[in-house]
Amino acid sequence: MGFAACAILLAVPVGIAQSAPPSHAKVELIADEVAPSATTTWVGLLFHLDPGWHIYWQNAGDSGTPPKVDWRLPAAYRAGAIRWPQPVRLGGGSVIDYGYEDQVLLMAPIERAANSLAAAAVPIAVDVKYLVCREVCIPGKAHLTLSLPATGGDPPAQAPQWHAIFQNTRAQLPTPAPAGWKISAASEKRYFVLSVQPETPVKSATFFPLESGQIENSGPQTFTSTKNGFYLMIPESDQLVKPIGTLRGLLVLGPGRAYEIAPHVLQASRIIQNGSELRRQQ
Amino acid sequence: MKKRLASAAMAAMAVLIVLSVARAARIGDRAPDFTATDSNGKTQKLSDYQGKFVVLEWTNRGCPYTLKQYNSGNMQRLQHEWTSKGVVWLTVISSAPGKQGYATAPEENSYLKQVSATPTAVLLDPDGTLGHLYDAKTTPHMFIINPQGVLIYNGAIDDKPTTDVADVNGAKNYVSQALDEAMSGKPVSIATSRPYGCSVKYPN
Repeated sequence: MGFAACAILLAVPVGIAQSAPPSHAKVELIADEVAPSATTTWVGLLFHLDPGWHIYWQNAGDSGTPPKVDWRLPAAYRAGAIRWPQPVRLGGGSVIDYGYEDQVLLMAPIERAANSLAAAAVPIAVDVKYLVCREVCIPGKAHLTLSLPATGGDPPAQAPQWHAIFQNTRAQLPTPAPAGWKISAASEKRYFVLSVQPETPVKSATFFPLESGQIENSGPQTFTSTKNGFYLMIPESDQLVKPIGTLRGLLVLGPGRAYEIAPHVLQASRIIQNGSELRRQQ
Repeated sequence: MKKRLASAAMAAMAVLIVLSVARAARIGDRAPDFTATDSNGKTQKLSDYQGKFVVLEWTNRGCPYTLKQYNSGNMQRLQHEWTSKGVVWLTVISSAPGKQGYATAPEENSYLKQVSATPTAVLLDPDGTLGHLYDAKTTPHMFIINPQGVLIYNGAIDDKPTTDVADVNGAKNYVSQALDEAMSGKPVSIATSRPYGCSVKYPN
């Protein structure tokens, strides 16, 4: 990501992305500025959503489905995984989804093999299928193309705006939880109890699971402060039939404060053994 | 590590004093009994079907995921195949009046004719009572209850979570697989899956 910090505009993508027909979501393929010698270019699908409409996170929650992205790249180029921004909870009642409203950039790195030469222009294309929903859901799809120049070229008018969108998105991407945090998880009485000792006080937290079928998405997540941090009680999904080893997901403490966590899950029987002394003290 | 165990244990104990949330049936539990009115005005009671396999299918004719199953004829094939083998197939509409997928009894009966669907009955659940009892999330969302009244499947219709009709062919149908296994006395290998689709259009 070092190239992104490069303040000098060395090369910018040219070509206007084609957009899908109106369907409450407009999607563009955009690219970030890139240094000529860089082997990584960040590109992204920029979704503009009509008010009230949404698309989905990588775990869509109770309904819906995440966008499906198929890159079409020249030989010697490959796409890395999408960096999913922090989602929001959507819907209400007994059906809760995770996704994005208004505008969201789903960014991914395009890597050129180190032993290959940079081409004069790199045609990239993508097929994207997505579901956009408000009260009802409408499937959409788009075939988008963009030509990435290796060097030079007049900056297209959109380029500075695109760069700002990439920078804003980067600033909001989830990051690994700080190494100094103590995070543990336990499963008891059909709840996950997530215990966190962060380095600074926290007033609220929401957990977003990476896997479906583990937590009851619509269930209340109860936050309780402790001396050194907090714990969050999260009801387990009725669909969870076997104990899980790891609870992977995002712990969101506020806008721009989403942390990737994957604590091992202690099962109740083990806790009772290990915690018997604590119980007697109570 | 010890400290972590201790903090997890203490936190876990706090669970004991918190009221539990209402829970739907889980795999291996007795499926909750219900009484509902079907599109012919007849009362349908789950416990009347003791001794038979029962499939519950949540539907919404406006939802693209449901349409994938009906436009391809797949749902109709499944209904025909399994009801001919003695399975009771109950389609459920939990859309509230004014919301997508809501249908009155006559509307539903003419729709069934139009798409050649032959479930055992269509249960009209406009207030969402039955939907909430089973915690139906999506359309489609499928449940299977065995002849002993135990829930043996809760999840998606198949393993291709798309709206493309072309994806019906080649999909592994979880409902057929579970019924095949259960009817031949085997345990159901995939008893839960993420039910994919549109959200059920419950009343606000």
